[in-house]
This record gives sequence, structure tokens and C-alpha cells, in this order.
Amino acid sequence: MSTDTAHPPIEIQGLSKTYRLGFWMSRKVQALKSLDLTVNSGEVYGLLGPNGAGKSTTIKVLMNLVRASAGKALLFGMPPHFKEARRHIGFVPENPAPYEYLTGREFLNLAGQLAGLSGHTLDKRVKEVLQLVAMERAAGLQIRRYSKGMIQRIALAQAIIHKPKLLILDEPTSGLDPVGRRQMRDLILAEREQGTTVLFCTHIIPDVETVCDRVAVLVGGNRVREGSVKDLLTSEAPLFETVLEGVALSQIHAWGYQPKYSKEIGERLIVRTSDQEAQSLARKVLGLSGRIIQLQPVRFSLEDLFLQAMTEVKQTVGTEIT
Amino acid sequence: MIQGFGALALNGFREARRNRVTLVVGFFALALLMCTTLVTEVTVHTFNRVLTDVGLGVMSIMLILLAIFLSSGLLSREIERRTVFLMVSKPVSRSVFLAGRLAGNMLTLTLLLLAMGALFFFEVSAFRNAITSTQFVAIGVLWVELLLLSSFGFVMSSFSSQIVSAVVTTGVYFAGHLVTDIYNISSRSKSELFRLGGKIAYYVLPNLSRLNYRPHASYEVAVTPSEVVSSVAYGIAYSAALVVLAMILFSRRDFK
Repeated sequence: MSTDTAHPPIEIQGLSKTYRLGFWMSRKVQALKSLDLTVNSGEVYGLLGPNGAGKSTTIKVLMNLVRASAGKALLFGMPPHFKEARRHIGFVPENPAPYEYLTGREFLNLAGQLAGLSGHTLDKRVKEVLQLVAMERAAGLQIRRYSKGMIQRIALAQAIIHKPKLLILDEPTSGLDPVGRRQMRDLILAEREQGTTVLFCTHIIPDVETVCDRVAVLVGGNRVREGSVKDLLTSEAPLFETVLEGVALSQIHAWGYQPKYSKEIGERLIVRTSDQEAQSLARKVLGLSGRIIQLQPVRFSLEDLFLQAMTEVKQTVGTEIT
Repeated sequence: MIQGFGALALNGFREARRNRVTLVVGFFALALLMCTTLVTEVTVHTFNRVLTDVGLGVMSIMLILLAIFLSSGLLSREIERRTVFLMVSKPVSRSVFLAGRLAGNMLTLTLLLLAMGALFFFEVSAFRNAITSTQFVAIGVLWVELLLLSSFGFVMSSFSSQIVSAVVTTGVYFAGHLVTDIYNISSRSKSELFRLGGKIAYYVLPNLSRLNYRPHASYEVAVTPSEVVSSVAYGIAYSAALVVLAMILFSRRDFK
């Protein structure tokens, strides 16, 4: 059996996962609730969500680390427990833990052998990926001596050693310093350039904006938003933020304005309204001898989208089922 | 599949080597030399018997402790440290992963057994004593005992922590050597429940006394080939059943 190009790299339908906890397995925690998701060939797809949203569980189901309670997850049209399904996949888990007693080179050799490489091809690929992740000089050191950034690099190297068609990365930039994060992002983008499909899971929003073509926001095990980054960011009407003094929020409400966001900081008041409302509000504030400190458009970011989705759902995540 | 199995087995051996278990051989050599010096001072007529007894005894204690230590942490340590995430996600089945890990463990124990065996026979011949076939049988069947205990530790470590696995496997080692006595004692009891408990223990626990030919070697008691084959077959069949059980448990396990 080989990967079928007629099937998308990842297809998830009605996927649910309930963990049973405790000595008697009587406590239930629902991590995923009927999730639907499709990742198309060649795209970088971001899974965004707070801690406990179900991102890692989705990835673990795909990597055959946990079994789904209901629904189906397919890799190139095959269920994850088929080892053939995993042959064309590279995986970097959250906080990867390679064998510490091995050197970086030995670990890559092991990963390559398990992926089916051998002999000269394996040696060549080990050299190539070590160069790609800039780890040639540390390749002879035992992994126990590696820094967090070096472990992330060697984990990425083992994931790409067999030139996978699909790369699944769980929080690949977490815990890295800004330089490390930048390098990791560049490596992911380089993989995309070569046509590799990437599923990228994180809660670091700037990484998603930089790297992903499409994103899904997961909250409480549900997909609450999905689309291209560009579409999601332009879907909301632009807002204007007015910072003013000398007028209370109650007065603004009395004038009939319903700000999307408001906050009082000392004598200052910050309100976010539509463009038209901002203009008329400014005139009224000035007419009442108030002061306009600042008036500026607000760029709708993925972070806003994320927080908006969280507020709409009003659900705490990973909670126990009673 | 074979390539993955081989890579995992060799990696398991490398892990044991880097954990400095080879020092065990050094300790064994030292212990044997010291014991022999002591033994030559205190024995008069039964020197050969005591030398075999001490040599095989030290060898079996050290290797059994090592087998329990290595096997009880084999999977639980992988799961606790999350190294299993990178391995199970590769295109190898969980059963092959499991078999490769156990094979790596057994490779380590086999090489140590061979090294210790060589030291033992060197010691025996150095003191101009006869090397007997029963000594070979005792060492060979010790390997089967190590396999059985490793398989038991392996099953335990597929669902419990290293400490729990080690404690239970150690308990099984002692119970396994006493299982015939447990059966005999319980069968004389007036309590039906006690008799039933003894019977269950006898049939469920591995009968490790069947794999103990060390007394035969010490007292130079002849053993028949059919007896040895039967014991070896029993040990291997029991181990195979345990490995299959470990595979079933491990294949159904979620790694959270």
C-alpha cells in the first residue's frame, strides 16, 4: 500500500476522545468533541487554541499515540495504526525526548533505520539533515548534553530524515529563545518550499501568522473558527480605539454607544468602536470639554480572533464530565 | 520490519552498555576471586562443590537482579520520559517495538552471561577442577530463567511504574522458586480456600525451580536431556505467553 494522492494528507471526521482517569477509570475528561478537519496537500495548517483545547490530542490520535473514542482520522486515506500510513510522516512531539544516551548522529541513524533507510542512503541523509538543522558540530555529543534548542533541532532532523510528505509539529517553538524560534520557523518554511504539507500546532500566535496558510481555532475540543489567515483577519469590520479623558463610560452608554471593548485606567478611558462611531464620539467628547488623547485604527489580529472565539464559546477546556 | 527490530535491539544493548552495566562483569570477577580465596582457606574435601556453588550462585544473583532492574524499566521509563512518542510514531508496529526492546535486553544479559560463564570456567580450570556438563546445563537454563523473568518484568512495565514492576517481579522470582512448596503446604490445609489459593498459585506462577540446575551442578547429579528439553520448553513457552500479553496490553495503551 502507498500514499494515495487522491486522499488529502489529513482527514478528520467526527473525531472525539474521552480520557478516563483515576484508579477505577471512573472520571471522564472529554478532550475532543466531534472534530472535523481537512489538511490539503502542500499547505501549512495551524492548529491554534489554549492549553487543553485538544490540539495535542488531535495530533496524538493522528500519530497513533492515543486511540479515538469515536469518529475517524485518516492519513493519506489510511487509519493511523497502519504503519504504512506513518511511513510518509515526520513527527515532532511537544517537548521531544530523544534517547539521552545516544549522540545526535546515532539518534538520527536509529530514526532513519526505523523509517526504512539503510546503508549509503542513510549516511547521506544523516549528513544532509545535520547540515540543514546546523547541528554538524554537536552531532558527536550525547543528547544529554544538548540545550533545549539543540534538542528541538535534532527532533526536527529525525522527523525529516526520510523526506516525509507530511510533517506534524506539536509546539515546535515552545521554550525556544527568539533566535531559536526564528530558525525553527525558517526550517518549517523551507520544508513548505519543498512541497511538504505541515500541520503545526501552537498557542504562540505570531508563529501562526508568519508560517501558516490556513488555521483552525480549537476551544474545548471543538473547532470554532477555520479559514485562511488572510480571510480570518479581514473578516471583521475595522475598529477604532479612542483614548479619552474627562468623560465617564456611563456617559458614553447614555449617548447610545455600545463599545466593543472598554477599559478605564485611572482618569483615562479606552473604548473601541466602529469607524463612524469613533468620529461622532470624538466630536461629542470634545463638545463636553473632554480630551482625546489618541484615536487610531485597531488591526484585528489572530490573537483578537482567538480571544473572541474563547469568549463566544464561554467554555473552560478539558473539564471533567459529570 | 526486520531492520526496525534489529535497530531497536542493538539500541537496547547500547543503552545497557552506556548505563555501565558491563561493570557487573567486573564486580562478578572480583567477587568470584575473593570468594575463591576465602573458600580455599576454609574447605578441605568439598572444594570443587563449593567453588561451583559460589560461582553459579553469584552469577545467578547478579544476573537476576540485573534482569529485574532492566526489564522493569524497559517500557515504563520510555513512557515516563516520553521517548516512546518518537519511537511509536515511526513506521514500525508496537509489537515490533516491544520485541526489539526485549531482544536488546536479552542481548545484554546473554553477553554478560557468556562473559561470566567464561570467567567461571576459567576459575574452575585454574584450580584444576573438572568442568562438567551439568555446569553447562545450569548456565544454559539460567538464560531461560532470565528470559522468563525479563518477560514478566516487561509485562509489568507495560502498564505500571518501574518500582511497582521491580517489586512484583522480585516477588514472582521468590514465589516462583517456592511454588512447589506453596502447593504442598496448601494441599495439607483444612481450609478449602487455602487449598484453592495454593493450587491457583501453582498453576499461574512460573515454576522457576524447574529452571534451577545449580544444585545438580554443585552435587554433580546427572540430568537427562529430555528433562532439560522439557524445562527449557516450559520456560520459553511461559515467556512467549508473557510477551504476547505485553503486546496486547501495549497495543491498547494510550500515551497521554
